[in-house]
Amino acid sequence: MKREGLSTAPVTVTVRQHNPDWAAYGRATVVVTLCTAVAWTMFPHFEPSNLIMVYLLGVTAVAARSGPGPSVLASILSVAAFDFFFVAPHFTFRVSDAQYLVTFAVMLIVAFVISGFTVRIRAQAESARERERRTAALYALSRELVSARGVEHVLRAAERQMAEVFGGEVAVLLPDPGGRLSLQTELSTRFEMTSSELGAAQWVYEHGQIAGHDTSTLPETQALYLPLVASHGTLGVLGLQLAVPHSLEAPEQLHQLETFANQTALALERTQLAEAAQDAQIRAETERLRSSLLSSVSHDLRTPLATITGAASSLLEGDNILDDQTRKDLLESLSEEAERLNRLVNNLLEMTRLESGTLQVRKEWHVLEEVVGAALGRLAKLLRDRPVTTSLPADLPLVPIDDVLLEQVLINLLDNAVKHTPDGGPLEIAAWSREGAVTVEVANRGPGLPPGDENRVFDKFYRGSGSTSRGTGLGLAICRGIVEAHGGRIWAENRPEGGVTFRFTIPLTGTPPELEGIDA
Amino acid sequence: MPDLAGREAPAASQPSSEAVSGPVVVLIEDERPIRRFLRASLTGQGYRLVEAATGEEGLTEAAMRQPDIVILDLGLPDIDGLEVIRRLREWTAVPIIVLSARGQERDKIAALDAGADDYVSKPFGVGELLARMRVVLRHAARSSTETAESTFCVGDLHVDLAVRRVAVEGREVHLTPIEYRLLTTLIRYAGKVVTQQQLLKEVWGPQCTEQAHYLRVYVAQLRRKIEADPARPRYLLTEPGVGYRLASE
Repeated sequence: MKREGLSTAPVTVTVRQHNPDWAAYGRATVVVTLCTAVAWTMFPHFEPSNLIMVYLLGVTAVAARSGPGPSVLASILSVAAFDFFFVAPHFTFRVSDAQYLVTFAVMLIVAFVISGFTVRIRAQAESARERERRTAALYALSRELVSARGVEHVLRAAERQMAEVFGGEVAVLLPDPGGRLSLQTELSTRFEMTSSELGAAQWVYEHGQIAGHDTSTLPETQALYLPLVASHGTLGVLGLQLAVPHSLEAPEQLHQLETFANQTALALERTQLAEAAQDAQIRAETERLRSSLLSSVSHDLRTPLATITGAASSLLEGDNILDDQTRKDLLESLSEEAERLNRLVNNLLEMTRLESGTLQVRKEWHVLEEVVGAALGRLAKLLRDRPVTTSLPADLPLVPIDDVLLEQVLINLLDNAVKHTPDGGPLEIAAWSREGAVTVEVANRGPGLPPGDENRVFDKFYRGSGSTSRGTGLGLAICRGIVEAHGGRIWAENRPEGGVTFRFTIPLTGTPPELEGIDA
Repeated sequence: MPDLAGREAPAASQPSSEAVSGPVVVLIEDERPIRRFLRASLTGQGYRLVEAATGEEGLTEAAMRQPDIVILDLGLPDIDGLEVIRRLREWTAVPIIVLSARGQERDKIAALDAGADDYVSKPFGVGELLARMRVVLRHAARSSTETAESTFCVGDLHVDLAVRRVAVEGREVHLTPIEYRLLTTLIRYAGKVVTQQQLLKEVWGPQCTEQAHYLRVYVAQLRRKIEADPARPRYLLTEPGVGYRLASE
């Protein structure tokens, strides 16, 4: 029982100090009995002084294994047994030769001194081992804290390591913005937190001093509270509810506990600062995006709205002046601008969904040709004066995609091509399968991209440098968002013969469905 | 609901007097501008329009007027559009066309499953809505007379259902049994959207409704046989996220 106690569970070590271990006393008695037996066999051949050595050996053995109590018992029993068995008159405690009284006294003193030294050496070894174990634990904690990501990880690592080393329940209390401490309940469920305990913790937080159980301040509380002091002040409070009360009496253990608390505080501060910095960066980024989105959107929404308002009011007010052709022109621009507005709003919604992370990709195995067909069908009006050639091999495999989202990608690419190339310019759609991915390309014969802008076109709010560009600069960014959500890649290349090719890949991840029994 | 017959619903308008004989349409839509432009376009096309701004009002109007079509917006202020469909379907088979926003494919499927006949995505052109209305009226008329046409023709596609002959531009096309079943199922609903689930159930049987990729592969094969350019289909159209529609005009 003692061996295991030394190597792993600190609780057992402390238990032994407070409850007399009756087995050790029993063992001391047994050892003295054995020594007597050995001495008895030696008695006819050796001087009595040599028999004393046997007993001293026995006392040393007891001291080496047990505490001071059993050693003292062994010393006294040894003297008594020596007197009883080997000093004349035998089998009585009476002593005929008074010289033996000196022998007894010296024997007792030597036995006490030996056992005292032995016990102390053992205790030192034990405490050295204990110290080493805590140092190792501290090292483990620091290592864990360095790699901990996020406040919760830091707290969890600290709680686990400390509970293991000091034995008991550990809780971390962090302040709310108003400075009121609260238990991080999801971490420490077994820590009993009453209002008086919370009061003690609050006191520790406000004064930055250790208090609670086994200290001079608020000693009546159940747990010991240490402030988590970092460079910018007290971050919170660490509570330790010992499994065995008063087991932290040694000042070095308290120091060690403080070191643990300091380590935790520094790690906590580092993590909190990192999180704050990240938050600030995200906020700044969001702010920047929001303002550029607003300026871009307000312009792009107003342009079609201005056309719609203008055309509608012309039709209303100039009812009897307008000839049929003008009326038809106005109506057509009304309809076209409304459709443009619709595409714009769709893109804005899509972008919002992409950015907020609420976009759900419902992948199923689809026939690519069908999605291309649906996109071309939806843009039939926009593409009516454009020759569109499609070359999709009949043996193209099924692709794992969200058809609605991929249709949006194709619509945006085609819409982009129409916007940036002269009226009537041809468009080409092609696809092929190679190396576990299907590549789709949408090519035009427009003016091409300025060199170096081939990747920038997919950035949000990028607009072509030409003054003819219309739109929010969101369409291609949405394409990239959707393609990347499918695990693919999208890029643009200027064509040697003029124009731009937009290509994206859809990786063929997952197991394609069995198509057994398909009769072709 | 005979007790409602004598009461006058306040927001409901009387059927337009200039088109006494046209089909009666109950329009359940809470947005006034949409009601306004539909009133102008539909009455101009000879429909008799009854308007309702809420679901309850719409259900009352549908019960009183015995309409030929119900046009229903899914986002109503008082009750869920799906609930309106369910309550209508408890007692009537009147064709229902749903108005819904693009991007809400799940809602569309739910509406079709609940018993709606077709949908139009907002924003929509009147031409699209009128085409859908003509299709559902035609289907309603056909089912009431219980006569199935023995031939189906659209564009260059001719299907003679009596002799199982399919021809494109006069040339006969050979279909496998499943392709033929797929085509005839779509013909039965010609012009109307058919959900993937419904097609799977009717062509393959109720145990195969999870095998949507089979359907897609067969549709692709069928397109290759009946379409001039399968990537730009004229007849067999895809409604992404919902299902298929066989062109009928």
